Amino acid sequence: MRSPEAILCESLARRFGERDALAGVDLSVAEGETVLITGPNGAGKTTLLRILATVLRPSSGRVAVAGRDLPAGAPDVRRSVGYAGHDALAYPDLTARENLELYAALYDVPDGRVDEELDRVGLDGRRGDRTAELSRGMLQRLALARIGLHRPSIVLLDEPTAGLDADGRDVLRGFLAEPGRTILAATHEPEWFAGLENRLVAMDAGRVTA
Amino acid sequence: MNGRAVRALIRKDVLVELRGREVVPSMAVFVGAAFVLFRFGLGGTELAGGTRAATGMLWVAIVFTALVGLSRAFAHEREGRTWDGLLAAPVDRALFWFARTCSTFLFLVAVQVLALPAFWLFFLQEQAGPSYPVLVAAVLLADVGIACLGSLLAGLASSVRAREVLLPALYLPFSIPLVLTAVRVTTDTIPPQTSGLETLERLGFLALYDTVFALLGWALFEYVVED
Repeated sequence: MRSPEAILCESLARRFGERDALAGVDLSVAEGETVLITGPNGAGKTTLLRILATVLRPSSGRVAVAGRDLPAGAPDVRRSVGYAGHDALAYPDLTARENLELYAALYDVPDGRVDEELDRVGLDGRRGDRTAELSRGMLQRLALARIGLHRPSIVLLDEPTAGLDADGRDVLRGFLAEPGRTILAATHEPEWFAGLENRLVAMDAGRVTA
Repeated sequence: MNGRAVRALIRKDVLVELRGREVVPSMAVFVGAAFVLFRFGLGGTELAGGTRAATGMLWVAIVFTALVGLSRAFAHEREGRTWDGLLAAPVDRALFWFARTCSTFLFLVAVQVLALPAFWLFFLQEQAGPSYPVLVAAVLLADVGIACLGSLLAGLASSVRAREVLLPALYLPFSIPLVLTAVRVTTDTIPPQTSGLETLERLGFLALYDTVFALLGWALFEYVVED
């Protein structure tokens, strides 16, 4: 089934064993909208983002991304979505460049874009360094470079400001301000996004509360 | 199949291994230690059971050596949460199994390049040389089977907490037919050799085993890695 919203969740639930990580989330994000999700640790923000990124399957309810129902439409959705998790999703024994080359191959984008993205996030001087040697903030920048590789129309960010210094935050601000993207970001710092976001959504105990 | 993605995934595994040196050195030490224990624990080159017992020890050692490597397969992905990055990518998830199978095969061959001559030196130095083409065919076919089966089960085990226990519990029973056949073919390669037809049948069985677990790995891996 096709859905006009960029992201649509209806009664979305996810259980881990006996625990309800999501207990009936209803959420709709229009194309081009920037929506922030806030809430305490364990509210279900990361689980929601992982389901939308097609990494996790929902237990019940309906979820659609880029007009495709998940999990059936996951293969089509993946090319439209860029997901930066709480961790950098980088191999510590590979260099920054080698990590991006791996993802460039998986997303079938030209290798030339790897250097473009490293330049854009200010890691051009560290491209040959193993990511084990990079700081948390640099890893966050690398994650931004990774999701920029395939120019996704929908971006899912989990705590994107964590560990970022002032320059890194400028890079993130520039990324978020690029037009034409739908952005859903989980954050504990909603005030930092002032002027960028369209809407704030609060979550608690696996549900959207406001 | 997306050849570029497969090459990139294999390159990743090889680079991680070259820099981290976690798998191949551990496998080499394990197989070397196993040969030493067998040789001095079971009576040197004059083994009861002769050639068949020696080749049996070889394949038992190889299967357990592969287990050492397989226990680290997908460990980086799970521990570093890089799995999420791979799973979110727009490629068939069977490619992750296929690439891991190829890298496991490469690591196994790298260890055997050292282990097989050491085995002959330890246990069969008084025998005439083996039939090398048949021996190479048997080793490569058995390695493909070990890699196909092991990568599938390592993927399955990596998602559970007790993976160190689950992987051997699943892998060893399924590897029994492969070990029995590999032992017979390897014994066939050492004079006095059995008829070529029997050896061919056994090589055919190994190829069939490889095909079955290659198809299973390709078809099932998508479900194996689902959380």
